[in-house]
Amino acid sequence: MAEDSNSGEPDARNRFTSRILRGGTEPDPRFTLANERTFLAWIRTSLALLAGGVAVEAFMADLLGPELRKTIAVLLLVLALVIGGGSFFRWLNVERAMRSKTPLPLPLIAPVLAIGGALVAAIMVVFVIARPA
Amino acid sequence: MSAPRDAARHGDSGLQPERTDLAWSRTTMAMVVAAAVFLRWLPHHGWFVGTLVGGAVIAALAINLTQKRRFHKAVRGINQEAMPPNTRATAAVAASVVILAVLGIYTVLFLPLQP
Repeated sequence: MAEDSNSGEPDARNRFTSRILRGGTEPDPRFTLANERTFLAWIRTSLALLAGGVAVEAFMADLLGPELRKTIAVLLLVLALVIGGGSFFRWLNVERAMRSKTPLPLPLIAPVLAIGGALVAAIMVVFVIARPA
Repeated sequence: MSAPRDAARHGDSGLQPERTDLAWSRTTMAMVVAAAVFLRWLPHHGWFVGTLVGGAVIAALAINLTQKRRFHKAVRGINQEAMPPNTRATAAVAASVVILAVLGIYTVLFLPLQP
């Protein structure tokens, strides 16, 4: 890598970027990177939910009936789907707000995760209490 | 000092390029863990689960192979005070997770357990 990274024009935006991020000015690169890390944290949350859903279906056959097992697994997988897909739009909206220097939008996926997680936990609590000893 | 090392130099005391690089690495590992958990389904739901395992492994590999490029892009961004955001990488990772989740839901709902 012979190029001098301390001078010269900033990297060019590719066509996809130009299309979905119109207008405004490029924000501080530190903020762009922070937004990217936050996005990745959401993606890992989604992957954890995905693995959790699979684990419920794969490892809890002796403990849960087929209907309950399926319900919890699908709930977790749907949550993973919504969080995973939503994290991209969250990232995009934050990037857009930073470009136009407007206040950052609130994360809609945060209450979704909270309510979804609480729902799954509540189902498990009811199951544990109702289960014959 | 060799050229590649110079290319990795930046003046950001917040170590943003390095932290972002590590965040991508952790995501790779989470993807590999997901692939490993999917493997557990293989004996129960049959060959279709192979698409899930393969998809997660390919996504992890793709992230890993593009790590260096993104790191240097971040370093250049810090040095030049502007960087184009990684739209394609973020869109691709989010799409992979969505596809894996859809395949997972399909597996749970429509593929019968094999004895």
